[in-house]
Amino acid sequence: MAAKLATRPLLRAQLTSRPANGHVAFIPQVRKLVFEYCNKWPSSANTRTFLLNHLEEVARANPHVEIVVKQRTYREPIVRGLYSQYLSAHTLVYVLRPDPATTVNNRDKVIPLNGFEVTGIQKKVQLLLDASGERIKPLKRRTVESTTEAARGIWSGLHVDEPFKI
Amino acid sequence: MSHVQNRLAATASRIASVSPAYLKSFPPKEAFAPKPSSSQSDPSVEQKPHFFDAETWASLQPPPPTSLTAFAYRIGLGKLVSSPDPILQACTHPSFLPLHQKHYPHHSRPAANERLAVLGNSLMGLFATEYVNSTYPYLPTRVMKAAVSAYVGPTTCATIAKEMGATPLLRWNRVSNTPTRPAVLHQDAMSSIPRALVALVYQHSSLLTARTFVHKFFLSREIDLRNMIKFRDPKKALLDTVAKFGRERPVSRLLRETGRLSNSPVYVVGVYSGADKLGEGFGSSLKMAEFRAAEDALLRLYLARQPPHLVQLPTSTFPNKTGSIFKAQGGGSLYVPVQLGDAEIKYGAADKTGLRSPGARSVASFEED
Repeated sequence: MAAKLATRPLLRAQLTSRPANGHVAFIPQVRKLVFEYCNKWPSSANTRTFLLNHLEEVARANPHVEIVVKQRTYREPIVRGLYSQYLSAHTLVYVLRPDPATTVNNRDKVIPLNGFEVTGIQKKVQLLLDASGERIKPLKRRTVESTTEAARGIWSGLHVDEPFKI
Repeated sequence: MSHVQNRLAATASRIASVSPAYLKSFPPKEAFAPKPSSSQSDPSVEQKPHFFDAETWASLQPPPPTSLTAFAYRIGLGKLVSSPDPILQACTHPSFLPLHQKHYPHHSRPAANERLAVLGNSLMGLFATEYVNSTYPYLPTRVMKAAVSAYVGPTTCATIAKEMGATPLLRWNRVSNTPTRPAVLHQDAMSSIPRALVALVYQHSSLLTARTFVHKFFLSREIDLRNMIKFRDPKKALLDTVAKFGRERPVSRLLRETGRLSNSPVYVVGVYSGADKLGEGFGSSLKMAEFRAAEDALLRLYLARQPPHLVQLPTSTFPNKTGSIFKAQGGGSLYVPVQLGDAEIKYGAADKTGLRSPGARSVASFEED
């Protein structure tokens, strides 16, 4: 007869690894940029200049991004960035269910381009290319969380030369 | 984001979206009802009903070649293949073929990634196993297998495929569980993509390039080895392990204590083999502290890690050239086989792992004889 196991068995769903994007290789999260412009309205004039003069060099410099140009008449110009699905590297415990606050499911970032000069449009496009698709989180209020142990260890009152005596 | 919103987003991401730029004709001809011919204008003759499901049609269309090329560049394989066709093959799950055959019987059969996935799976298993073995020479076998699953198993492969951005490129068909074959879920289909990519790298480049690919994307991730090691009786296990190494019997000694008669005592116990301290543990009772000390001692042994620059991988002996690895000459850097630790001890005299005990009937018949 098999002995009763005193330990909890290893569950197959627990056998995963945590993401470490950038530790060795970096996979850019942006996969597609969609430009929508109008051919008639003057609000799209700068966007049209950008598309004619600068878009090709942006596309050549970023071969990992699919670039789509669409006409959308009688509307303001926009640029839409589409991102891959991933789990934030800051998830502490990813055992059986992922933390919803850090899972990103095919998000997109949309930036209206009316009111920008061509240089401004270039900056916004670069912003989309550098982004990860995660929701913008305020970092001021968050406590520091680490996935690795403390390098020097946590202080212990019992592991000092002279323990405190009441 | 609530659970419902998460599910909605996940389902929406799986629904295929088609770019009309690369289609022959849009809207597709199947979407229109067929024109009734003169012979069929007779109201007594029954007209064949026409069905068109936009979702099925969308899932049958191949992803645009631009998205495949962009995907290849995103994972560093832009210069590996000259056309996006091998990438499309890597992203086509075999469950897609019957669906395609049903709707487009006159088209040529698309190439699927079944064989590539099998080859890639074997290669990934090889690379992960040699890496774990060389990095943790004293790891127990069960834990080593679990670590390999954690590094290159199906869940991780599916997650990595999603992080790479292969969700819109996957061509598959959901299949429910039948008595003859298991179900095909989105996770199964997605996990075949990284495996097929590893096989692609091996075929178009060398074995060592495939190894670099696996090391970069799979073995650079973090796994929690401590959680995979489970102890039933660490004191007994430590006793046997120390005996195997030929050292003195382990003795537990109380190092520090506080609050013995209070409701929250803390004891710090160290386990010693002669003068060497093997491990230390704390606890609110003496037994608990001793248990943790034995656990700590064993973990220090099992999780002993070879520094990354000293890790020796057996596949380094293969030549770093394209073509048949059996025929290529030269290459192969200096390889020194790493000493594999023999620290593993088995609980009890007979190991019952995987052994099936005979049923009641066969035992009864044996006793009759």
